[in-house]
Amino acid sequence: MPALKINVHFGGGAELLFDKIKKREVELPAVDKYLPECEKKGWTIRELLVWIKENLLRERPELFLQGESVRPGILVLINDTDWELYGELDYELQPSDTITFISTLHGG
Amino acid sequence: MDRVSVLEQEIADLRKVLHEKETELYQIKNGWVMRQLTTPVEPERQNYNNSGVQYSGNLPKWAIERYSRQILLPDIGVAGQEKLCKARVLVVGAGGLGCPASVYLAGAGVGEIGIVDYDTVDVTNIHRQILHYERDEHVSKAESAAQTLRSINSRIKVTPYSIQLDSTNAMQVAANYDIILDCSDNVPTRYLLNDLSVMLKIPLISGSALQMEGQLTIYGYRANNNPKEMNGNYTGPCYRCVFPTPPPPEAVGSCSTNGVAGPIPGVIGALQALEAIKYIVGHSHSGLLVERMLLFDGDDTTFRTVKLRPRNSECAACSDTPSICQLLDYETVCKTQAKEKKKEDTLKSERRKLEKDKRMSGQSYYGFRVKADGTKKWVQDVPKSERRLGPRCKSELCAKGTSRKCSMITETDRMDMFRHFWNDLDWREKKAHVRSLVDTVPAKRRRLKHKGDVSRKGDSKRYHLRSGGERMPVCRVMFLNTLGIKEAMVRSWLSSSDRPKTPKKALKALNVNTFIDRIPKMAPNCKICSKNKEYIAIDNVTNLHQLYNLYVRECAVQGSVPASRKTFSKVITTRNVKMKNVCECITQNVWENQMHVGYSV
Ligand SMILES: [Zn+2]
Ligand SMILES: [Zn+2]
Ligand SMILES: [Zn+2]
Repeated sequence: MPALKINVHFGGGAELLFDKIKKREVELPAVDKYLPECEKKGWTIRELLVWIKENLLRERPELFLQGESVRPGILVLINDTDWELYGELDYELQPSDTITFISTLHGG
Repeated sequence: MDRVSVLEQEIADLRKVLHEKETELYQIKNGWVMRQLTTPVEPERQNYNNSGVQYSGNLPKWAIERYSRQILLPDIGVAGQEKLCKARVLVVGAGGLGCPASVYLAGAGVGEIGIVDYDTVDVTNIHRQILHYERDEHVSKAESAAQTLRSINSRIKVTPYSIQLDSTNAMQVAANYDIILDCSDNVPTRYLLNDLSVMLKIPLISGSALQMEGQLTIYGYRANNNPKEMNGNYTGPCYRCVFPTPPPPEAVGSCSTNGVAGPIPGVIGALQALEAIKYIVGHSHSGLLVERMLLFDGDDTTFRTVKLRPRNSECAACSDTPSICQLLDYETVCKTQAKEKKKEDTLKSERRKLEKDKRMSGQSYYGFRVKADGTKKWVQDVPKSERRLGPRCKSELCAKGTSRKCSMITETDRMDMFRHFWNDLDWREKKAHVRSLVDTVPAKRRRLKHKGDVSRKGDSKRYHLRSGGERMPVCRVMFLNTLGIKEAMVRSWLSSSDRPKTPKKALKALNVNTFIDRIPKMAPNCKICSKNKEYIAIDNVTNLHQLYNLYVRECAVQGSVPASRKTFSKVITTRNVKMKNVCECITQNVWENQMHVGYSV
């Protein structure tokens, strides 16, 4: 299976945990090679979070993750749509998808 | 100088007179506007001018003139302007968002604007909070904003509320309004306003801004009463539908700690006003930011609108069978304080910890000021330099003699020792390391007549450095400079032994807990609102005060020390023990009904 190219965006302050880079194009290796134990054919958001944690996250994982999902207060968007409409963690990534992680703001 | 103070006094007096006259004018005009707007409508008298704008006899001439530029818009028109003049909007927060939002609402002629803020104007607010001026410093933000709004539009009613909105007063304030603008700056208030908007069935236009980014959406939108809606039952998501759980407090930034560019809340606040105006004139939800969120990024000046999830049919707040049927203690729920002022204290302790960590790892840090008597003053602003490897010993005595091996240690070895000491060891290990390298021996008596006596000088210290497993005797200078420490630190570390720190035990809270375990309790009457709650079942005890007195009496009998009232009520709250076994959903409804009756009269 060829590598999967997707876009990963961070915003609302979440980018601070990722070298302050808001937009990235990433290439995911074949999922059965990267996570042999998960026995899946395609990447889902669940595996993407593991990959992000191991490859992009610079500090304080508790400010991004909680359990196997993201922490409360981070909005996950799949191609600019709330991930809840796509099955959240189980959504299977497609080539050139844009996955956005927006930390909600509370200042005023 | 005299002239300056005279002028200052004169200006202050003039300002006072001006304010009085403005208030008088406002009151006169206001009475007149109210009469104009409440005169009965005669639909036959509606006519059309040649530009196609609908004119109505209902709106006074000055209003048609004054608001003509927006009445010209087909989306607003005279009918829309009438709705605006009758609309009542509550703006929560007179800060970076609340100021621009209320400016446009006042300009548009929104009949009643309530503006809530507990805070006072600070000079650091003015770069973004455009309703406050330099002269308003230390004045209540709500008052200051209201005064400026009145000078923008003297024909509307502006009500300042200089209070901290919480579960005890929010319902009373908000019941007088048709829309809430969330211009607040903290998580607890955001959850409070959401639940409030759901209970009152009015929309919440929620804006937020931080650093270079802003976000905007409308929560709790209901389609009923809007003839333009295809589906009159449509309800948009509420804040809890999208964010059921509050974020961890450490993940929440604030303008005072993270900063914000003034125009960012300016943009979002202006758009909040726009959404409010559109809602008032009757746009349907497809044209409003319902179930959608606007993301504004000032870094690259992009606006993005993303699709949010629809209303959650099992939402704790807005579903048909909500589990939240009254306002909560949001500061406890969100583990955050709503007032930034209070938050500064936690920030202070966080900063202390940060500086301590820096100090203990040899980085530069800010230390406390020290008073003349040697005690600490709790101001942490004395810069202390980072730990450095000092120069090596150049003493000829050390080089010549055989007892000290200063000259045998290379610079690389010294660098390694220094790095190992500051990077690899924690504070306790550092102490242990120093103790293992310094021997304390009785001072040598050189003169024969003193042989065997104890010297008044006290003990001598023999310093060593460990290189390649060997413990090499060195002089004091070499020792201190290689580890980058001062003599006072060594002295204090040698004299004190490590006592394991015993954390304070919450003994008193324990004794309250056993008291609560012991007293008789009953199950709740209502299964909906009283889940996980317990109720006290003791005759003659109906409030916390009586319960506390009972507890104190029991403590006296047992001879134990009672906890303070504060601790006692804290434990009671965390244990979720209630006094009155009544269903709060029902009382809530009764209360709400009374409110509706109250203001429709
Ligand atoms: Zn909801
Ligand atoms: Zn020496
Ligand atoms: Zn109930």
